[in-house]
Amino acid sequence: MSTAGGSNPEYVIARVRARRSALFGDEEYRKLVRMGPAEIARFMEESEYETEINALGSRFSGVDLIEYALNANMAKQFNDILDWAGGRLYDLIARYLRKFDAWNVKTVLRGIYAGSSREEVKSDLIRAGEFDDRLIERLLDATEIEEVVEILSGTMFGDGLEAAFEDYEEAGVLVPLENAVDRAFYEQLLENLVVGEEAEQYREFLEAEIDFRNARNALRIARSGADLDPADYFIEGGTLFRASEITALATSTSELVSKISDSQYGDRLSGAISDLEAADSLISFERALDSALLEYADTLGYVFPLSVTPVISYILAKEREVDNIRAIARGREAGLGPDEIEEELVIQ
Amino acid sequence: MIEAIEPLMTALQNETASSPAITEGAAAALSVGIAAFAAGYAERGIGSAAMGAIAEDESLFVNGLILTVLPETLVILALVVVFAA
Repeated sequence: MSTAGGSNPEYVIARVRARRSALFGDEEYRKLVRMGPAEIARFMEESEYETEINALGSRFSGVDLIEYALNANMAKQFNDILDWAGGRLYDLIARYLRKFDAWNVKTVLRGIYAGSSREEVKSDLIRAGEFDDRLIERLLDATEIEEVVEILSGTMFGDGLEAAFEDYEEAGVLVPLENAVDRAFYEQLLENLVVGEEAEQYREFLEAEIDFRNARNALRIARSGADLDPADYFIEGGTLFRASEITALATSTSELVSKISDSQYGDRLSGAISDLEAADSLISFERALDSALLEYADTLGYVFPLSVTPVISYILAKEREVDNIRAIARGREAGLGPDEIEEELVIQ
Repeated sequence: MIEAIEPLMTALQNETASSPAITEGAAAALSVGIAAFAAGYAERGIGSAAMGAIAEDESLFVNGLILTVLPETLVILALVVVFAA
């Protein structure tokens, strides 16, 4: 992992592990689900989120404040990691963080498609990726989807988006564009990984992530009963599914479930799968996928302490935390009870 | 062939027997030097990890310091050789 005899990974991973252990745990969540939005904001002010809450506190309030603070803090934390890292570690982390570029592009596309205002879209962006502020401003200024495709022509999403734009014009739905963004992201993620045991494990983790994403998409389509071809959503690179079989699998949930439980992830997900069969609940299955992925990343982090995996596992855990706090805040605002909210959380 | 080398070999043997290529003192110095080098190498990783941890939480300073200098024991053990030599 080290480049030129440096000891950068040790430094980065020690810091990341310290941050990881500072994330909210069971106990904090148990307190949080019983609080109102204002109390949550105050609670956050006394934690890692202090700077953001104070900076944004004068402009926003309630759930909005919490949400902006969460996004800002997440972006800051991930930029911090990039600041510390160097050499190959930097490269691998930067590649993974392009996930947020993909997220931002998709958010902008959806915003234009749905006719949302510039401010609304802006508040949902997470500036943790590689795009600089200027590019993001230009994306926000775009009013046509064609403009977005043009602006992105120099980036890694360029080629895929251009090809998908024709499909979009024909069909009038966003699916091909969003899919092109996802594909571009996962392709560059698996590209040029150095051969070795460590890289092999990392690749396995990425493949699991892709498999889970495919499984989730297929299940959602199967459940919604919408007339969509799951093969359009399919992301290459996983090991569990092939594009040709996913269409057939998505038509019957039971076959899909048995395929997942027979796979190498079967043991890890067995509890969730029986839930899915019994309770008919997609939500708990998706939560289980999330926590299985997190657990997988953690395990890898212990097997290869000086690789990129502990950092990835922190990134995932931080994302989960942000999702959890947002779910709590939104849930409390909507008047859900503590138990109902607790079911929504991914706690490890 | 072997007959031709034989006188040379005995000559070499005689020479090493009379004065070793590395004297006792030099061997002891070498062992300390290599041990110090190894300690430095070990401390490199621990030191940077300790700095990372301290940057996040200053109360770890003492722990970090202790862990960082632990490999120095290698050098101290190697010093024993100097007195034995």
